[in-house]
Amino acid sequence: MASEHTSCQSCGDSLISPLFCFSCNSLQTVSDDIDHFKVMGLPHCFEIDSEELENLYQRLSLGMHPDFFGEAPEKQKLLSEKSSVMLNAAYSILREPSSRARYLLLLLAREKNLQTDALPEGFLQEMFIFQESLDEMLESGDQSALCKMNEDLQNRHTFNESNYGALFKKFENSPENHEILQQLQTQLNAERYLRRLLDRINSE
Amino acid sequence: MAYSEKVIDHYNDPRNVGSLDKKDENTGTGLVGAPECGDVMKLQIQVNPDTNEIVDAKFKTFGCGSAIASSSLATEWVKGKSIDEAMSIKNTEIVEELSLPPVKIHCSVLAEDAIKAAISDYRKRSEG
Repeated sequence: MASEHTSCQSCGDSLISPLFCFSCNSLQTVSDDIDHFKVMGLPHCFEIDSEELENLYQRLSLGMHPDFFGEAPEKQKLLSEKSSVMLNAAYSILREPSSRARYLLLLLAREKNLQTDALPEGFLQEMFIFQESLDEMLESGDQSALCKMNEDLQNRHTFNESNYGALFKKFENSPENHEILQQLQTQLNAERYLRRLLDRINSE
Repeated sequence: MAYSEKVIDHYNDPRNVGSLDKKDENTGTGLVGAPECGDVMKLQIQVNPDTNEIVDAKFKTFGCGSAIASSSLATEWVKGKSIDEAMSIKNTEIVEELSLPPVKIHCSVLAEDAIKAAISDYRKRSEG
C-alpha cells in the first residue's frame, strides 16, 4: 500500500509526515484516528528502515516540540502537545519489531475473526515446565543453568522475530490467505509467554 | 498498584499450592494462559466419583499477585462443591471478593477458565 502524499495546509509543499511541514515549519491539523504507520509517513509494511525512522522521529520531535510553541497562540500550543504525543506513541510502537508486528497485525486483522488466544500445540505445557524449572534454578542458585535457559529463550525469541518479516511478506503476496495472519497471531501470543520467562530470569 | 488486603493475604499465604496425581482417573487438570501478559495457571481437582463432589483442589500459578490470589481463591471455592456448582462460579464473584481493579479483571477470568478446564478434563477422562 503506497503511502499517501499529503500537502502542507499552509504552503502546499508535500509532507513526509502528515503532522508537520518541514518547508514552512508549521503544525498540521490531523484527524485523531490516523495510524502509527501513517504518522511516520510509512506504508502498512513490516520491514522498515530503522535509521530513517530514527531520523524522521528526531526531526519531527524537534520541529513540533512544545517548548518552541510556548509563545504561540493557544490552539498551536495544544496542537504541538497533541502531535508530539501522537509522534511518541507511533515511534515507540514502530521501532521495536515485536510491537510493530503486533500493531500491524491489528491493522490487517480487522474484521477477519482471528483466534486471538491461539498457541502452538503443547506450548502452554512447555511454558509451565520452564517456569517450574526456573523456580528450582532460582532456589538452588544454579547460575550456569540460568544462563543456559536465558540463552535458549533469547535464541527462540530472536528466531521468532526473524520470522515476522517473512510471514508479513507472504501475506502481502496473497492477501486472501488469512491463515498467514493466524500464524502470526499464534506466534505473537507465544512471544508474550517467552517474554515473561525472560523478564523473570533477568530480574533475579 | 494497590493490592487489596485479601489479595495480599492470598499472595503471602496461598491456599492449596501444589499438585495432584495427573494419572489418577478421579482428577482433572486445567492449564490456562493469559495472552495479554503471559500468565500461566494450573488448577487441579480431585473428584469423588460416587458423589461428583470436588474433595480436593490444588493450583500453581506463574503470574502477578492478582492471578495468584484468584487461583488460590478458586481452589478454596471449588472444594466441597459439586462439579455443576463449581462450573457456575463466575469471574465477577472473584473480582468482588478480591476487589480487583479493572486492569486485573483478566486474572479472575483466567481462574474461571482454569476451573472449567479442570472440570472438562475430568469429564473427558472419566468417560473415556
